[in-house]
This record gives sequence, structure tokens and C-alpha cells, in this order.
Amino acid sequence: MINILESIGKKGLQSARSLRDVMSFTYMIFVRLFERRAYNSAVSMVLVNQIYFTAVQIPPLFFTAAVCLSIAFVGIIGEYLLRIGLFSFFGRLLMGFMVTEIAPFGTVLLIALRSSSAINAEIAVMKVNNELNTLAVFRIDIINYLFLPRVISGIISVVLLTCLFSLVVLASGLIYSGFFFNMSARDYMAALLESANFFDLIAMFIKSAVFGFFIVMIPIRYGIRATNELTSIPVSVLNGMVQVFIAIVIIEVLSLVITPMISKLI
Amino acid sequence: MISNLSVLENIALIRQYHGRLSRRQAEDMAREYLQRLQVEDLAGRRNPSLREEERFCVMVLRAVMLEDSILVLDRPFEMMPALGESRFIYDIIHHVAEMHRECHIFDYFLNEGRYAEGSTHAA
Repeated sequence: MINILESIGKKGLQSARSLRDVMSFTYMIFVRLFERRAYNSAVSMVLVNQIYFTAVQIPPLFFTAAVCLSIAFVGIIGEYLLRIGLFSFFGRLLMGFMVTEIAPFGTVLLIALRSSSAINAEIAVMKVNNELNTLAVFRIDIINYLFLPRVISGIISVVLLTCLFSLVVLASGLIYSGFFFNMSARDYMAALLESANFFDLIAMFIKSAVFGFFIVMIPIRYGIRATNELTSIPVSVLNGMVQVFIAIVIIEVLSLVITPMISKLI
Repeated sequence: MISNLSVLENIALIRQYHGRLSRRQAEDMAREYLQRLQVEDLAGRRNPSLREEERFCVMVLRAVMLEDSILVLDRPFEMMPALGESRFIYDIIHHVAEMHRECHIFDYFLNEGRYAEGSTHAA
């Protein structure tokens, strides 16, 4: 019995310490985001490169996935609403479900699959090759030079690509509703405008930014936890990616709980 | 060296970060010193494709990019085992002499014979 309690206590302490580490690292990165002296031309150069790798290189894959997902979801939703006689809610479902929920979620999944794993591996390789120590020897702050640009690029990329995903969803809805539900473009636009809620859109942007922050911050943290052995790289990437997906689910659930509460208050 | 940066970017990074220079200014400065060592053709290459002597040149240049730097060469022959004697090392240091405050070379006594010229602090 005591052994069981000890093991539960040990696990609990480990989880609490891990959570505390994540929170303190998150706080440190968050504070640095607003420090003006953290930015210089070297940091800007890394930022531009990271935005290029994360947001500019991805569109062919991203666009294809967004079109496929949008057509599938819009088709299913439209057909189902038509069948149960609630097609008047088509615009509301597009704006309230597809744009504010599916677009950020789909975007963050695609970016996490592509960029989070790459960032985790990159930082772990730098740790193994002693490159992080090299930067420290030259008094180059690794948080400012390596982590900050990646986190900012994650936030910018997820927000921008969420907007792109939303546009693809709305375009798919326009085409689909025209072809299959005989809905004119004017009616479609009217339905969307009627359903558009400014607060929902703000919530979508905030959620995308939070997603962007965590899907980069977590891989960085797991990357720097790699040891000096090559075999620690895959372990670090594996653990980092598991935590990224757990974080995505937690943020999504929290947003589903918090957003309606704030919406009611407003 | 940072493996995802070229030689030029590795050297320029120090001034870019500490000197708050623009990328172009820092890279021009780095290019000038590469030319001085007659290794400007290394500019676009990355660490894994460099030979030992080339890597040594780049590391010295990167080190002297820090202002008021004290250059410490720790067992340089271990980095370049094929190098017979120290003339190459002194030539490199001589070319960047005005960029560092002091230079110290630390090595084993058994390598003393390879340092035919100049003063060293053997340890």
C-alpha cells in the first residue's frame, strides 16, 4: 500500500515539477517578447528565415489539405442541415464552427506536424553538437537569438495561415452551396454576414496566437533537454511532439469552455 | 560553428549581434577579413565541408570579431593533426593582429618543437 502511495506521490511530484518548469519557461519567453533590447538585426534575420520556413514554404501542402478538409466538412454540414430542415443555419455553422473552430485547429495540426518536429530536432541537434554552448561562449543569448524568433514566427504563421484556411473554407462554401444547394452568391454572402460575430473572430485570432506560441515553445523546451548523445535526439522529438499534441487538445478544450463564458459576460 | 549558417554568416553574426550592425555591414566586415586571410572562397560554405585548416581560420576570425578579445588557442595541433609546424598558425594570428588584445597558445610540452618561432605559454 505504502509503495503504491509512494509511486503515486512520485508521479505527482514529477508532473508538478514538469508543469512548473513549463510555466516558468513560458513566462520567461513571454516576457522577452516585449523586451525591446532583445531585438537586433541578427534576431530579425532568424525571424525572417523562420517565417519563410514555417509560413511561406508550407502553402502547397497546406492549401491542398485546407481545400480537401473544407470541401468535406462543408459538404457534410450542408447535406445534414438540408436533411433535417435547418439549412437556414448554414451560414452560422460555417462562421461559428468552420471558421472559428476548424480553421485554427486544422492549421495548428498541419504546422505542428511540419514545423514543430523540425524545430524540436534542430534545437536537439544544436545541443548535441555543442552549438548552444558556442553561442553562450560568444555571449549570444540563446533565448533572444534562437527561441524568440521561432516563437514569434510560430504566432505569426499560425494566425496568417488560419486566415488563409478560413478563406479557403468560405470559398469552398460558396462553390459548394452554389453547385449543390442552388444558393446564389448574394444569399451566401448575406447568410455569412448575418452570422459573423466580431467577438468570435477576435477569439479565433487569440486562440491561433496561443496555439502558435505553444507549438513552438514546447518543442524548443524539449530540444534543449536533449543530452549530449545522438540517441537523445529522437527521444527528445518524440516527447516534444506528444506534449505538443496534448497542449493543442488542452488549448482547444479551454477555448471551448472560456469563449462562451466571456461571450456571455460581454 | 553553427551548422545551419554559412562561414560568412558565422563570422558576421558576432558583430551583428553585439555591434548592432546591419546584416550587410557585418557581412562586408566578415568578407574583408576572409579576403585578408585569402580564404574568401569559403564564404558560402558550411562547417561540414571545411578542411581542418579552413575551419581553424574561420574559428580564429569568429573569435576576433568580439571587441577586446583575448585569443586563446587550446592545443591547436589537435584540431589540425596533419599540420607539421606552427608557421601557419602564426600567419593567421599575424593577419588579424590588430583585432585582438592578446593571444595565448596553450599546448603540451611534447609539441614544443613544433613552435619554432614566437613566444608561447606551454602548459
